[in-house]
Amino acid sequence: MQSRAGARVMWIYLGTGIAIFALMTLAGILLRAAQAGWIPVDPGTFYSILSLHGVGMIVAMAIAGLGTLWYLVRREIDLDERIAYLAYGFFIAGVVSAIISVVPGRYGSLWTMLYPLPFVGTYWPSWATGAWLIGNALVMLGFMLWCAQILGALLEKYGGVRGMLAIDYVFAKRAFTEAGRKPPPPAMFAAAITAFDGFITGMVGLVIGTALLVHLIDPSVAIDPLWAKNLTYLFGHSIANLAMYMAVAGVYVGLPMCTKRAYHTSPQLAVAWWATLLFVIIAYFHHLYMDFAQMQWMQFVGEIASYLAAIPVVVVTVYGGVMLVHRSGMRWSLGSMFLYGGMIGWVVGGIGAVLDATIPANIDLHNTLWVPAHFHTYLLEGVLLFTLGWAFVNLEQRADAVSSLMLRWLVGLGMFGGGALFVFAFYIAGAAGVPRRYAVEPAPGPLWASVATVGAIVFFIGFAICVFEGVRLASLPKSDVTA
Amino acid sequence: MGNAYLIFNIFIVVAALAIIAMLFLANYRLHEPLPQEVVTSRGYTLRRYWFWLVLVVAVVTFAMTIPYFPYHAAGASASAKHFSVVAQQYSFSVPAVVPVGVPVIFDVTSRDVNHGFGIYGPDGAIVGQVQAMPGYTNHLLMTFTVAGHYTIRCLEYCGIAHAAMQAGFDVP
Repeated sequence: MQSRAGARVMWIYLGTGIAIFALMTLAGILLRAAQAGWIPVDPGTFYSILSLHGVGMIVAMAIAGLGTLWYLVRREIDLDERIAYLAYGFFIAGVVSAIISVVPGRYGSLWTMLYPLPFVGTYWPSWATGAWLIGNALVMLGFMLWCAQILGALLEKYGGVRGMLAIDYVFAKRAFTEAGRKPPPPAMFAAAITAFDGFITGMVGLVIGTALLVHLIDPSVAIDPLWAKNLTYLFGHSIANLAMYMAVAGVYVGLPMCTKRAYHTSPQLAVAWWATLLFVIIAYFHHLYMDFAQMQWMQFVGEIASYLAAIPVVVVTVYGGVMLVHRSGMRWSLGSMFLYGGMIGWVVGGIGAVLDATIPANIDLHNTLWVPAHFHTYLLEGVLLFTLGWAFVNLEQRADAVSSLMLRWLVGLGMFGGGALFVFAFYIAGAAGVPRRYAVEPAPGPLWASVATVGAIVFFIGFAICVFEGVRLASLPKSDVTA
Repeated sequence: MGNAYLIFNIFIVVAALAIIAMLFLANYRLHEPLPQEVVTSRGYTLRRYWFWLVLVVAVVTFAMTIPYFPYHAAGASASAKHFSVVAQQYSFSVPAVVPVGVPVIFDVTSRDVNHGFGIYGPDGAIVGQVQAMPGYTNHLLMTFTVAGHYTIRCLEYCGIAHAAMQAGFDVP
């Protein structure tokens, strides 16, 4: 079922995601250096760059993950790559629109803007808000197009929702296997949940985006701020979480390639993904703990859902990944190091997230630097590593080559060491109560911003070495073993 | 609540344990391979206990935290004195003095966009917060046990001068 065209789609998506990531990392370093007082950046410019950094990172990670997933689904089902390119066109158009909004327009209301902010007390022209909203809408349209293609293909291949989610396999395993049927492989669950929840997320993003556009055109059309906040966080939380679940597919396929073992679908894995399907959507309630006007049952559900969302991760996916590696004889390479390191980063970021999702703790941590601490942990040391791991496993296998021990140490020290220092500074500053999204931070913010900047620069050096090594591996001739 | 460093310490300990455990399980006799069936069989047996452990910890923690939820202000203290707090770009209208040792309720709203009403104690730690939202009034119940100057900071991004949006009150 695989073809060069399928691989081309993946590498275009992956390459674009990693390139955007690199640029946004430089923007992020600039922001932390500004907070450290190393570089003078006026608040307007700071918030414009922060807006671009936030949306750029999410789009970068999502594009890379979507490319990987598309390729993996293509291995099972014939997919029309023209739709993948059309979706890609929407993503690029959306990114261009966001850049126009920020660079000449100076838009600075961040990517999860809370109504009525983009329209009140702004320092940018209203057309920049329009360009931003249109950019978001284009990205959502591309995402929904991708989701529709994948969802349609999976439903057709596996015989509807029952087959796609392996419902018969879970509830009547013996009859299912005796009939000679097989459940979808693990990566297909990641694709199915991404496509299903992604379509809902895209629709929610379009609804709130359209409402804001209508208000932009006719300010007499009022929007309820609490309704807008719910939709904004449902959209923002879900898409950020789905970026992780997309990238996990690389673990399901990449780690077995490293360990020469199989990652099979089990009933537990299927049930874990059902839980994920639900919790990705409803855990967003924890973003509104400090909105006491929110219905109370939503606060209770938010905390328990946030806790339960961790169970599929630590009991099934990560646990299964550890079982794959344990006493497998696997050799450490950049690919396996990234995939396994990504699972550790996912768990550590998850611990930070679960603590923040505990309502009494949220009183101390809400909108402090603890929030970027946990999501930078799982994006940098989780999603990114899964993405790079998947890319390197393929590059290493293609060339039948492994990077030198020295290079692995350099990359490891940079990306794990520098990354750990970078996120640690966020956590400790968050515990000290330093608010997030402050162009000028109160003490001890600037001190920890200095530490973070050093960590981020070290991280970026490791990342740059890793990219050059990836290019070197890609330029090696194809091995006879894999040819 | 003022427990941020306790939370930070819990995070460091649990994260360190997770990292050590995962690195150990990956590297322990890595190059003395076992058949996958053997690892899987042992792993599945252990996973049952692991699942119940994680589930019980999650449910018990949830139950233990409920009494500390901050959503009781409306009826919890009928005798509490109410203080109006109005936020707007980029200032707070807050009382100059708030009494010590008795329950008080801040009735918090906003004139324009979303803001965060974050109260920092004399030692610089957050002691309470609630969102200030246009069209809604959030009721924050607090009892100040420590006298001193409390600083208010905006804890929701609200525009270009967000970082400068501060106020304060004294608890004599």
